[in-house]
Formats: sequence, C-alpha cells, structure tokens
Amino acid sequence: MLEAAIWFWIPLCLVPIGIWFSVSGQAKSIGKIIAAIGLVLVMISSWTVPSSDSTAGGHLLLSISAPSLLLAYGVHGMIFGGNVPVGRLDSSARWSGSLAIFVSLLILCLMHWYSFTPLWRDGEVNPYWIVFWPTFLLFATSLCSVSAVALASYGENRLNESINLAVLSVFMAGIALSAMIFDGYMTTSDEFRDYLWLATADVFGTIVGMSLAIAAFAIVIWAYENSLPLPEISPPPTEEEIKHVVSLAKNHIGGEEE
Amino acid sequence: MKQSQSSWKLLILAALLPILVLVAINVTGEWRNDFHPDSFKRFGNAVLTSYVVMGIILIGNLFFYADSRHRPFAPFVGMIFALAVGIVIAWALISNDDLLLEANSGLRAQMLSNVVHLLVSGTAMALASLLAIGVTFAMITGRERRVLFEEE
Repeated sequence: MLEAAIWFWIPLCLVPIGIWFSVSGQAKSIGKIIAAIGLVLVMISSWTVPSSDSTAGGHLLLSISAPSLLLAYGVHGMIFGGNVPVGRLDSSARWSGSLAIFVSLLILCLMHWYSFTPLWRDGEVNPYWIVFWPTFLLFATSLCSVSAVALASYGENRLNESINLAVLSVFMAGIALSAMIFDGYMTTSDEFRDYLWLATADVFGTIVGMSLAIAAFAIVIWAYENSLPLPEISPPPTEEEIKHVVSLAKNHIGGEEE
Repeated sequence: MKQSQSSWKLLILAALLPILVLVAINVTGEWRNDFHPDSFKRFGNAVLTSYVVMGIILIGNLFFYADSRHRPFAPFVGMIFALAVGIVIAWALISNDDLLLEANSGLRAQMLSNVVHLLVSGTAMALASLLAIGVTFAMITGRERRVLFEEE
C-alpha cells in the first residue's frame, strides 16, 4: 500500500497541483515540470509497483499516449493549416494533419481488433482498455453530432462543414457498431456490448457529478458575494480635482486648427 | 429568444440521440443484450466520484485564484462542507450492503478503483473532445476567407 502511495497516488496528485501552479502563473515552469514528472511516474507505475491493481490505469495511459499525441498533432495541423490570422502553417499541414488523425484512429482500432491490444499482467488484456474504448467511441459520436448540429444552426452557410462532421459522427458510430458485432483480438463482442451499458452510465454519471459540483461551487460563491456589505459610495470630485483632470486632458488633446 | 431555446433543445437531442441509437441497437439486436445489472452501480459511483474530484479541483481554483479577494475564508469552508457531504454520501452508499460496491473487496478498494476508473473514462472523454472540437475548428478554418469589401 505504501509503495502504491509513493509511486502511483502521490504522482497522480502531483499532476493537478502542477497544472494549478502553471495556470495560476505563480510558478509556470516549475508547475509544468511537476505535472510532467507526475504524469510520467503514473505511466510507468506498472513497472515501479507491479503489485498494485490501480497501476493498470497508468499502463493504459502509456499505451494510448502514441495515438493521443498523433491525434493532437493532426488536429493542430488541420486547424492551423487553414485560414487563421496568426500562427498559420503551410497548407500541406492540413493534409498531413488529416492523415495523422486517420492513422491515430486506425491505431486505436488495431488496438481492439489486432495484436496492439494493451496487455498488462500475465499476457492478459488491460482491464481498463474495455472501459476506455466504448467511452471514447460513445462520447466522440455524441460530440461530433452536437458539433454538426451547432454548425448548421448557429453558423452561416456552414452546411457542407456540418455534413462532414455528421459523417465523422456516423463513422465513429460505425466503429462502435462493428465492435458490437465482431470480436476483438483479446475481447469479445459480448464484453463490448456489456461495457457499452457501463460506458453510457459512466458518461452520464460523470457529467451529472461534475454539474452538481459546479452548481455547489456557484451556490457557495453566490452566498458569499451576497453576504458582503455594499461598497461605500465615493464622494463627488472637488473643484481642485476637476481642474486637475481638465488640465491633464488639455495636455493630451493637442493639435492647432489649420 | 424562442429560437435560442429551440437550438439548445436541438443540441441536447443531438448529444443524446447517437447514444440512444447505439443503446437501442444493443437492446434490440439479435443478441438482445439486456440492461446490464451493474449499470446503476457504475452510474452512482461515477456521479459521486466526479462530484468529489471536481469539488477538489474547484477548491484548488479557489485557493490559486483568490489573490484578488485576499483569500476569503468563507467560500473555502462552504466548499469543504459541500465536498464532505459528497464523501459521506459515497462512504454511506458504498458501505451499505451491495448498493454501490462493484467487484472490489471493500470500501477503500472501491473508492480507489473509482478514482482510477474516472481517470480512464475522463481521458477517453478528453480525447473524444479533442477529436470533435479539433475537427470542428478545422472545418471552420478550412473554408477560403470570403471577401467582404471589394477595393475600389
């Protein structure tokens, strides 16, 4: 238990602490280093504390890091290879970006249907892979559908872009349907269908829980702000203060009439 | 105003519909996969864990962003109380018979497993958001810029 705390749980806590330091601007570089060290220690925890079951989560993060980075690279290339006012990349970045996104999705599919499946102990499939995969597919399908409808409803002449996003949503749903019908390399379609229920429960539960926490936070802040006394009304400026302001303004409004 | 409300409803429908379609196929397909018995437990654990973890993150934000307000004490106490309520409810429901206990040996194992589960499902959701939001922006920036004014 102590080993798991040192090599998994404390590094896991270091990640948000590092991000807080980095985002708050108090110690940006130190915060990034702390978060990065924490993340690396979590990822390698299946070697540092092999006895702990929790390290399967860290092992899964390590296993999906390559397709995740490729996805991030692809998205960056596709966005900044287009018409952006700043930080514009070469137009070929759009093609390489879309290829990177396709390859990252292909790698994730191969992790389900081919021998790339993340293996954990004794050659068994990582138990969190079957949690990650249906949750990713469900959420991506849902979000792409929302984006398609949002572009069509709020955008101006965005029908083609909206259709492309709807196609991506159908594509992700198609991958989910294929996993429901065809067995994976190490997991069966029965298991996937079971975990689809659990993934649905997970997605809705996480959204509800986060919304409740944000609501509680809003209520606490609202109650605190309401309890504060009203700020005192400041007295009107004196004659001297008005003269001073007028003289300052005159100094800054220059230019003679031509 | 009416149009704005209907758009929100449309967005919520767009978010739910693909999930409902997949679940409907799961139920009505030739395999007839019934409601998974552990779904309620997973939902309950996900609600409580995400509430507690999100609460901790928000308390961290209060601490790091409260400089301009001279770090007032009252919101801290309020949030810690709200967090404590969540932890007590989680503790009570997990230790109460078989209500929220999944395939874990006890209360501590279940709570730790919930955190790792949230880490994995949160990563899946973050990656899916990266894909969907990234491709949306890529679609928006992909179109040639329209000429608004012709130079004379």
